Amino acid sequence: MSGSPAAELPGTADRAAPGPVHHKGPGPAPSGWLDPRGRGLGGRTFALHRITGIALLVYLYVHLGVLSMLLIGRSAWGDFLSVVTAKGFLAFDVVLMFGLLFHAFNGIRVALVGSGVAVSHQRALFWAATVIGAPLLVYAALHVFGGT
Amino acid sequence: MLGHPSNRTARVWRWTVGSGVALLVLATVHMIAQHFVVGGTGGLRTYQQVLDYLANPVIFVLECGFLFAVTIHGLLGLRGILLDLSPGPRLRQWIDPGLWVLGTLTISYGLVLLITLAIRA
Amino acid sequence: MSDPETETRMLRVYRFKRGDGGEHFDEFEVPTGPRTTVLDALRWIQLNRDPSLAVRHSCLHASCGTCGVQVDGHEELACVCAMRDQGQEVTVEPLANLPILTDLVVDMDEFFARFPDEHPIIRRSEGEYVRLEDCIECGLCLSACPVAATSRHYVGPAALVAAQRLLEEPRGADCEAVVDWADRPEAAWGCHVGLECTRACPADAIPAERIMALRHRLTLDGKDGGS
Repeated sequence: MSGSPAAELPGTADRAAPGPVHHKGPGPAPSGWLDPRGRGLGGRTFALHRITGIALLVYLYVHLGVLSMLLIGRSAWGDFLSVVTAKGFLAFDVVLMFGLLFHAFNGIRVALVGSGVAVSHQRALFWAATVIGAPLLVYAALHVFGGT
Repeated sequence: MLGHPSNRTARVWRWTVGSGVALLVLATVHMIAQHFVVGGTGGLRTYQQVLDYLANPVIFVLECGFLFAVTIHGLLGLRGILLDLSPGPRLRQWIDPGLWVLGTLTISYGLVLLITLAIRA
Repeated sequence: MSDPETETRMLRVYRFKRGDGGEHFDEFEVPTGPRTTVLDALRWIQLNRDPSLAVRHSCLHASCGTCGVQVDGHEELACVCAMRDQGQEVTVEPLANLPILTDLVVDMDEFFARFPDEHPIIRRSEGEYVRLEDCIECGLCLSACPVAATSRHYVGPAALVAAQRLLEEPRGADCEAVVDWADRPEAAWGCHVGLECTRACPADAIPAERIMALRHRLTLDGKDGGS
């Protein structure tokens, strides 16, 4: 038999092409970490840790930008305060506090587990962080709204 | 397969954890001092209160440390996310220099802000 | 007379044939009993409904690791995944993060290609015993890993665990080269502690714990690397 008969069959090129790669996630491959379906505690806290991390980084730059009003002077900062102490903004502060507390407490857990320390206690660490963090969040929310 | 460069990336993890631990202290101080001991205005300081606060040299040093720690921690986290997106070799070689520039600009701006306000106090 | 314990369930099965159009799901009504596994159901479809359905299997008792699939989004070995533990409608998909050859069969070459080239840790089990104990090379950990879902360069849990196993018991291997291989963003430091690999592992190889032990070693090693 001469040559490669298989190469002459119709559809050979299609069959030789690599198949698709299945990914978890609602969209293209980079979104896979976001998908909570079929995930356990570790996978879901990882996703939330990353979401809060991205949000806090964005907030850092917004915060630094806003602080430039202090450079402008007393009246600019006063005008800014009158806007951000509205109820809607204070609700945003509570969301921010949740992000900070979750990222901080879960960060302790990730640091301990990810450094090979307390690996077998990762679940207990999560619940300990929740027990400590939840009252702190309630206190922070009451303080933020009570201070108006 | 990828190449196996001997870059000791464990140090990135150590810096991330180290800056995170520092943030636990510094962010707590920042949040309590800036937002939880001030009465009125939703826990935010007035212009004069901000100046009075930064006039304390200990607080000034702590806020500078907070600026460094939060920038390092945030940009190392961003680095991890960017690397997870599997950038090509050309794009990848710009990630570290780009984050160094962004970090330097961020810290410079923050220091200008802090020093200016401390001088005004 | 029909068995009173037999009930009919709907299987939604992922289909893909090269050169025959795109991906889709086919639905099959399958009779299941108390001991029917997902693999039994898939083989019933092959025998009674659609002989073109491709599914890979071998040992039928969870030791070969060839029949890994996603059942309703969870990584499972089809041969030991009981249908009675599933809902009335069961979706079966191929493993994630690996190229699909056809239907439920993925290309495991890409799984093994992630292991360090210079250390054929788990493929040379005859003659030179360097195989990772417990790991059945099924790829479920890689499919479950949220980082592998994002990064195609990440080597994944099984390869990292194999590296850790080698460091635990080098048997003459070049530990420094393994440490170099592992100490990269695409290797040990690509793991973000999602711990899904241990959850998915059907062989109790505890991959997450082994990866964390590897990171512990890298964290303490310092710049000289140690060994």
